[in-house]
Amino acid sequence: MDSRLSNSSSSTHHSNSKKRKKNATANNANQKTLGVAWSSKSLSASSCSSRKSPFSDFSSYMAHKSCKLQNQFDSEASASAARNTIFSGVSIFVDGFTVPSSQELRGYMLKYGGRFENYFSRHCVTHIICSNLPDSKVKNIRAFSAGLPVVKPTWILDSIAANRLLSWVPYQLEQVASNQPKLSAFFTLKSSKMSEDTSTNALCQVEPDVEDSFPRVGQLKERHPSEAGEMVEVCRQISNESNDISSKKTDVFMMEEPISERVICDEEKLAEANSSETNNERNTEGELDPTYQEPSTSVSIPCSDNQNVHQFPSSEATGSSKQCHSTLTDPNFVENYFKNSRLHFIGTWRQRYRKRFPTLSTGLNNGISNSNKSDINSVILHVDMDCFFVSVVIRDKPALLDKPVAVCHSNNSKGTSEISSANYPARSYGIRAGMFVRDAKALCPHLVTFPYNFEAYEEAVSCDEAFLDFTDAMVEDPELLASSIRKEIYETTRCTASAGIGGNMLMARIATRTAKPNGQCYITPERVDDHLNQLPVDALPGIGYVLQEKLKKQCVHTCGQLRMISKNSLQKEYGMKTGEMLWKYSRGIDYRSVGIIQECKSIGADVNWGVRFRDMKDCEHFLINLCKEVSLRLQCCGVQGRTFTLKIKKRRKDADEPAKFMGCGDCENLSHSVTIPLATENVEILQRIVKQLLGCFYIDVKEIRGIGLHVSRLENADTSKQEKYTLKSWLTSGSASVKKQKYHMGHNKHNSDCANCASSHGCIHSQGSSFQIDNKILNIHVSGDPISTPPPLCQLDVEVIRNLPSEVFSELNEIYGGKLIDFIAKGKGKCESSSSLGNSLEDDAICKEEDLPYSDPIPLNQIFSENKAMQHERVLGSGHGSCSQVTHNSNIERDDLLPSSLSQIDASVLQQIPEDLKAVILEHLPAHRAQAFCSTPAICPGRINQDSVGVDTSKNCPGTVNHALNDSLRAGNLPSWMDKFKDSSCLRKLREIYHRSGFNSQLSSVLPQFLSEFHHLDLTQEIYDETVNIMCELLKQYVKVKIERDIEEIYICFRLLKRFAVKSQFFSRVYNDIFPFLQAAVDDNYGGSLFMP
Amino acid sequence: MQRKENETPQGQAASVLVEFLEVAITAVVFLKGVYPSGAFERRRYMNVVVQRARHPQLRYYIHATVSGLLPFLQKGMVDRVAVVFFNTDNVPLEKFIFKLTVNQSYGSSVEGVDLQISLRSFLAKLSVSESLTKKLPPDCRWEITGNFQLLPETGTSKEANFWIPTDTKQWEQPLFITPIRSMSSDPLCLQFYIEHPSLSESSVL
Repeated sequence: MDSRLSNSSSSTHHSNSKKRKKNATANNANQKTLGVAWSSKSLSASSCSSRKSPFSDFSSYMAHKSCKLQNQFDSEASASAARNTIFSGVSIFVDGFTVPSSQELRGYMLKYGGRFENYFSRHCVTHIICSNLPDSKVKNIRAFSAGLPVVKPTWILDSIAANRLLSWVPYQLEQVASNQPKLSAFFTLKSSKMSEDTSTNALCQVEPDVEDSFPRVGQLKERHPSEAGEMVEVCRQISNESNDISSKKTDVFMMEEPISERVICDEEKLAEANSSETNNERNTEGELDPTYQEPSTSVSIPCSDNQNVHQFPSSEATGSSKQCHSTLTDPNFVENYFKNSRLHFIGTWRQRYRKRFPTLSTGLNNGISNSNKSDINSVILHVDMDCFFVSVVIRDKPALLDKPVAVCHSNNSKGTSEISSANYPARSYGIRAGMFVRDAKALCPHLVTFPYNFEAYEEAVSCDEAFLDFTDAMVEDPELLASSIRKEIYETTRCTASAGIGGNMLMARIATRTAKPNGQCYITPERVDDHLNQLPVDALPGIGYVLQEKLKKQCVHTCGQLRMISKNSLQKEYGMKTGEMLWKYSRGIDYRSVGIIQECKSIGADVNWGVRFRDMKDCEHFLINLCKEVSLRLQCCGVQGRTFTLKIKKRRKDADEPAKFMGCGDCENLSHSVTIPLATENVEILQRIVKQLLGCFYIDVKEIRGIGLHVSRLENADTSKQEKYTLKSWLTSGSASVKKQKYHMGHNKHNSDCANCASSHGCIHSQGSSFQIDNKILNIHVSGDPISTPPPLCQLDVEVIRNLPSEVFSELNEIYGGKLIDFIAKGKGKCESSSSLGNSLEDDAICKEEDLPYSDPIPLNQIFSENKAMQHERVLGSGHGSCSQVTHNSNIERDDLLPSSLSQIDASVLQQIPEDLKAVILEHLPAHRAQAFCSTPAICPGRINQDSVGVDTSKNCPGTVNHALNDSLRAGNLPSWMDKFKDSSCLRKLREIYHRSGFNSQLSSVLPQFLSEFHHLDLTQEIYDETVNIMCELLKQYVKVKIERDIEEIYICFRLLKRFAVKSQFFSRVYNDIFPFLQAAVDDNYGGSLFMP
Repeated sequence: MQRKENETPQGQAASVLVEFLEVAITAVVFLKGVYPSGAFERRRYMNVVVQRARHPQLRYYIHATVSGLLPFLQKGMVDRVAVVFFNTDNVPLEKFIFKLTVNQSYGSSVEGVDLQISLRSFLAKLSVSESLTKKLPPDCRWEITGNFQLLPETGTSKEANFWIPTDTKQWEQPLFITPIRSMSSDPLCLQFYIEHPSLSESSVL
């Protein structure tokens, strides 16, 4: 026994290797006392003896130890007489805390012929046993488990109980096994699936109004493709929209193909410098200038298209300058913002372009590899439109040609907008981009300003500069080529362009600068030095204002002066990269090659202008739109991301209102990010994530001056779609199998028979009868106790019948001998008058119940086990479950992804669902629906209704609210009184958080979250006495409920409250009001007062 | 952990509780440092590291006291079990209270593992609760007291005779409570908290 003790002790503390080493070494001679060796006394002894350790290093010690442990195990195993070999070949490694403990498991392994490893090794271990894993290990499961199964300890127990080795698969750790898509993905993905209307099963179980004595029969199933589509339209508009877009996107792709091919052909021709041919030249230009319109008029550019979904009349471009531009007043701020943002426009052209010419880049890359070899002779052409934004605007206004013109955001009288582009006459007045309009007007009073006209830009060109590498083109005279290109540009766009030619991109750019306006310049390799000598440093790309100032301090004004400084000192002064860049650029060295398109690492959108929020609602609204924008951009690029970063610009405490109108001013930059396991571009998931992220900031929304959302860890959407776990594939495979398979559904109690069918024509599910409607589609199975007569007419549901496909209907009508038509006519009125005790039973709700003891004897389980596609979509239970036969009222019109009210949810079902699942479901329930939910097991469905009635009646006057509180709190359930909060504007938040937290009825776990959100409310809303009263009442009730049985919870809550009270006036009032009551209650129960430090 | 099949849930809970109390009381005594740390040895209970008294008499005192509670626990007569630390004048300085409620009407069987996990958390929390407690003066003593809902009649049973009225004085002023851990499950509901005298009283001492 002693030796076993020592063994177990070391095995369970294997993580603490250092300590163990000491101990074990010390007790090497006296192994038997190891178990006791933990006391401080022997520890000190061990430190002395460790010096005399016989082991040279740790690894030899470990090897020795492992060997010894193994021998021990073997000897013990052989000692145990009755050797059972259930686990022969199994070698387990126990990780962390388990029930039963690792020693017990070891005992089992000893007894039943398995092996027990104290240290993890890929070679010896066959199964890892653990009951819980830290998040980091789950994320990196392969690194942790080395691909071995991670199994719960019950596997061993059950195997022993069964006296044979069971398959470990069902015992796999949920954390690991749940590598499948989350419920949330189902909700959203499904909707898009539904909208496609391919194989949707709108299953609807119908319970006719029958006397109890009747056997409950007449389950009808039906599919309503059109209605399914409608439903989706109503409740998932966004997804639909995105779906549309994605379908558009594919169209675009298809059209792109030939175009890109043509471009490549042209490229080859270009290589022969066959530039005289008009058509060819035009295409050359198309390649040169990504924006050339002609070949692609039929192609809608995905990105712009997406934006144009929301109507873009050209008049708006001018009109918008007068519009309100802050998030405060403009509900569509995000949309308009990006519509009007020049930087956004420029920033996204590359993606638009890449979509259009997907194969172009590869063609270019080949050329580059060549050009790198012949470095010296390379010739790069840079074409840049002259003051592009202005040129486009004034090209139709020849009168303005020689007048100073500038393009800016808004034309408002204060002149606080920035000039983004000015033409050359204007520049001669000293007007520069980035200047405020009022300053520009001061310099040049007759300056004409225009807002952007993106549509025109798109039409003309989508970006205003391009590089062309024609090293290999053997062009005789690059200048000739350049001039012909420029001519062509002018002819098509009526805007002038300048061209620069140089040995590399840098020199070409510098040459263009010299060439402007409307000229061209060729800097031959020999002239590089001369040219650079006189060049001011700020002409080099990458040298901005700050760097320029720094250089000025060192008396460096031209590149010539810059060249005097050694590379080392530059690098010391400005950092490795910048230093090297300066050194190289000042010498005209630039190794970048044309056409390398970098894979974008992240996609996102920032709004740093016009962001002002009054309250949380504004902010959330804004974020929703931002999410849409980002989602669209992701879809544009055909990627999905896993990491989401929310950046917030927060006004500095002492910062004034910024100089630029509605600008962000002096801000702190904050950011939070989160990584999810499955890449997504789904707008709803984004919204949820963003909301969560915003919660992390603990920020007053009023202080927010800018918000950015970025998505990184991008994955190609196409490849991720191939994952087998996505819903789509699931659905399609599901529906395919549905067609093939025959379902046998025995109705245990009623001996009736169900036929289920999911087909493109619709399905009928009828009980107690069998209809042969379509052999290919319907598979009808007659049960052992065949009732071949159709159900009585009165049991049929009018609504269902009416919505049947006409051919099915006529067949049914035949069976009923024509009575069906009359029945429907009669039933119409009846149906409408029936009360709205909707009891539409949805498939998946039952699916979840598969393993649960479910009292309602509806044998739909099997349907769902087959039809797993629909598994997690919704929870709709027979809300009244076992209670009664409920009058049926068809819910077809209200067909929805989720139950329209919680009364339709079977509380017992919901209870059995895992917490996270439950939380998601509840989150997806519209707020008003979540009101009456109650998660305590004791409550029966009927009770839910009572509760919800109680809520309704207590809505208006605070007195009844309190009364209702009293009632429901006595029952001791947090959920029901949380519902009362929906009436109080600010406490509604608490309720929301509570719902989100997944109903773990402890207030202490909800409160901290509440504070973070409440912080804003506290500032923005008046504190009403009533709100304080309700909160106090809530706390009082909570104290009453908990004081006797859970004083710790009360203690935590009030410690939290006390902490909040410092920050929040509201909580300080609540705390002061409630504290005497609390102490009195504690005194009653415990004879003392709670000690609040 | 094998229990007799015919035991009532209260009985099962009580025997788990008695075991737990023995460990927990030892832990409290260890935590307060009344004895040198060498007087304890590390053991494992419910898969957590706990202390066990090495001195047979100490061990026996705790064991015997708590075992003596068993019949009363089963009947639900014990209101609270306290570990009281007091000074030489028999004035208590600090009390560690286990307030018990055993639901006598609870019918279904006890899930031993669940109960263990709940109780385990007490031990875990206790081991990090030293900051909540007060430092004791050098010569203080301690005792285990049980608050009974009604006094067991002496002579009715052997166990009842073990219990004697305590000499420890009561605090005259209201006391402060610092909760450490609560557990409310059926049939056993357990509150574990510390009682301190009010500040004025402690300053007098």
